[in-house]
Amino acid sequence: MNLDKLLETGDRCIHKEPPTCTAQCPVHLEIIDFLSEIEKGNFQNAYKLMEKKMPFHHIIGRICDHPCEAPCERSEAGGSIRISELEKAVLEYGVYKPKKIWPLPKNKGKVAIIGGGLSGLTTAVDLDKKGYIVTIFEKTNQLGGRLWDFVGNSLTEAILQQELKAVTDKKMIIHFEETVDKSKLTELLTEYDAVYLGTANWEAPVEVNPVTFQVSDSALFVGGQLLNKTDSVIFSASSGRRAAISIERYLSKVSLTDSRDREGVFETPLQFDISSKEPLPPIEKSAGIYSQEEAIEEAKRCVKCQCRKCIEGCVHMRQFEMSPDAYIRQINHNERIILGTHYANKMINSCAECGLCKEECFLEISMNDVIHETRESMVERGKMPVSAHDFALKDMAFSNSSHFSLVRKQPSKEESKDLFYYPLISFSDYVKGLYKGTGKTEYLFYPGCQLPASYPDDIKSIYEYLVGHVKGDVGIYLGCCGAPADWAGQQGLMMENIEAIKKVWTEMERPTFILACSSCIRIFEKYLPEIKVESLWDIYVREGLPNKDHIKIPQTLSIHDACGTRENSDLHESVRKIVAKLGYGIEELEYSKEKTKCCGYGGLVYYANREQSNAFVNERIGESEHDLLVYCAMCKDLFVSGGKRTYHLLDLIYPKDDGESATRKMPTLSERHRNRSRVKQILLKEIWCEEPIEDVMEENLTLIIPDDVKKNIEDRYILIEDIQAVLKNAEAKNERFCNPDTGEYLARLRRDNVTFWVKYEKEAESFLIKSVYSHRMEILEGMEIAEEQNETRKL
Amino acid sequence: MKHESYDQTKWLCDKCQRELELAKVKVRYMEGNFEVDLMKCPTCNQVFIDEALALGKMKEVEEGLEDK
Repeated sequence: MNLDKLLETGDRCIHKEPPTCTAQCPVHLEIIDFLSEIEKGNFQNAYKLMEKKMPFHHIIGRICDHPCEAPCERSEAGGSIRISELEKAVLEYGVYKPKKIWPLPKNKGKVAIIGGGLSGLTTAVDLDKKGYIVTIFEKTNQLGGRLWDFVGNSLTEAILQQELKAVTDKKMIIHFEETVDKSKLTELLTEYDAVYLGTANWEAPVEVNPVTFQVSDSALFVGGQLLNKTDSVIFSASSGRRAAISIERYLSKVSLTDSRDREGVFETPLQFDISSKEPLPPIEKSAGIYSQEEAIEEAKRCVKCQCRKCIEGCVHMRQFEMSPDAYIRQINHNERIILGTHYANKMINSCAECGLCKEECFLEISMNDVIHETRESMVERGKMPVSAHDFALKDMAFSNSSHFSLVRKQPSKEESKDLFYYPLISFSDYVKGLYKGTGKTEYLFYPGCQLPASYPDDIKSIYEYLVGHVKGDVGIYLGCCGAPADWAGQQGLMMENIEAIKKVWTEMERPTFILACSSCIRIFEKYLPEIKVESLWDIYVREGLPNKDHIKIPQTLSIHDACGTRENSDLHESVRKIVAKLGYGIEELEYSKEKTKCCGYGGLVYYANREQSNAFVNERIGESEHDLLVYCAMCKDLFVSGGKRTYHLLDLIYPKDDGESATRKMPTLSERHRNRSRVKQILLKEIWCEEPIEDVMEENLTLIIPDDVKKNIEDRYILIEDIQAVLKNAEAKNERFCNPDTGEYLARLRRDNVTFWVKYEKEAESFLIKSVYSHRMEILEGMEIAEEQNETRKL
Repeated sequence: MKHESYDQTKWLCDKCQRELELAKVKVRYMEGNFEVDLMKCPTCNQVFIDEALALGKMKEVEEGLEDK
């Protein structure tokens, strides 16, 4: 994995970027923090923030021309925050006695300051604090320059006097009534180590470096009105401070230009979308200065601009309290660890890889891609925790085994000739379709693995519908597209699977695939762009719904789009057309279509972190008052388990008479296996009139499993076939423990990389299952300790 | 990883009909090899792991090793 590229992506994230108010403030007052403190009534903390960033805060805080206010995002929703009025309030309610600062020994060099106005005084005070010997040359008989013009209601003469006295008390040398001209300046430049020119007017034009404020490479630095060409006080103060930094760097003989790109006013890369915020007008002052209560209310209007769009949409990022920049730093660390614990593994395996983050991002940063690449890297380096995806990968292997996998061409005319009789030949679209058969497979119906597992009885109906409606022969292909391998980062396995699908496609003379599962659609788009695909839902729209009496209860549904179809807007429209045609109303969710959310199954988070998966489920089902309509089997499964009434599109197209389909419990993991197997049997028997090979999924032992145990079996990803295997072994070989007091047995069997344990009682011919659990650790039974040559550690 | 569960003394090895004894047993996961005191049948060496151990300490150690 290219970690430099990864970090670059992280650096592009604007989550940590400053708000526009702070970026437009020449001295970068931390305005969000400042307002937050006011909001909490902590005026003293707000005051400390002013003191930290604002030179002569007692003066500027009262007369600042506040360039921060105009660009305030709130201006689009009620009006800018009155930051300057709040500064005045803080100076009223938050002042505390400053700590005594012990002056540094003055041994760092001599600096002359020309002009005792705001910029000159800022440079002088900053350099004095740092240990320079500062001399001020002022042409009048008092310090302050044009600050005196601001004396009025806000800045009183007393306050100004007091602030200027604090400067004169610092024991800097001040020459009053001393005008500096060009020749005097030349003299000062030889006498002093550096000179700061802070007069409003100067007799000759000067060329100033816009970053360092240095005049060519001399010891002369310029600031204030002469530089800024404006009468803004905050720009004057800022230039004085920045010149002081330059002078210090100049005298310390370090680079004057390094990392200064964000000094003064800068354009923040932050983008903020205020459209969702309710407009609120500014709080009016009831007197000259905000009361504390008014100030608090005004500060509350601040929306604390920060880009959180992806975080707001993603319960995973919120659960781990991560922004993309921080997330990427954690991945970087996790990837670089050689010895030690990979703490971020669990987080990386808790992403649903749904892609909403990219949709929400102004800069299209895709955490989905970042995390996917990370998982591939973990697998490649042997660092992917096996337990995270083991069950899902075994499930995929099952679907591609002879239990389910099947490829068949449409039954030929010759094979179907027994069906070509009246009235079937006139009234059955399916039979008509068979009659038109050409022997060339134009379409291959690929229902995926989860749809047949959830809707085993509908696959045959769908197949017959397709034969009867689409032009050309329709074959069938049962298997798993490889989505679990993709999500698990198993590139090798994924490519193997893709090659297998390609082989079938080529052998069948390149038919169009008809897909019904949103994950299959995503996988085909990503890995098999050469194969033409159509979605089953698009075909229903084009060819008409099957001739059935649909249950039409006038009801409004909210459509939850499957995250795998995010970019497939035609599909979204098809689904809506079908729902409307069936007579249902639709209320769109806030996050829908290209901005849909994941149900909690995506990215295999369901297996890697059940708690995180539940958080996805609960958030999503809480977003709709209406029953949900989904078109992915796993979405339905998870939402119904979460207690939400949810219809799958097939529930509406092929309604069942067995009660309420919106609350029907979906099959367990074991039943999903059996259902797939059953689909294959049904198709072989009823469509191709083949006698199926022996039913390998048959259960020979009769189990009685109480509900609480059933739930544990499901939560622990244990299959009934595992339990059967343990019991068969225990019964045949007596490999088990017995408890004479309770009559219970406890037996274990290692299957592949997992040991399964079953506690049971025998009741006549059946087995009452008391508990089932497993572990991955291998117990080396009967192995003498001394035999093992490997390093042995005490646990 | 010494483990003594409250009820394990009641269990017998069904094959050998012997009481279980605490013994040093070798366990292995990924790159990790450990010696653990566990209850086992002194005759056939069948090792007894109860639910609390499998889902508690063993799972914790498995996860720890997976994250190494």
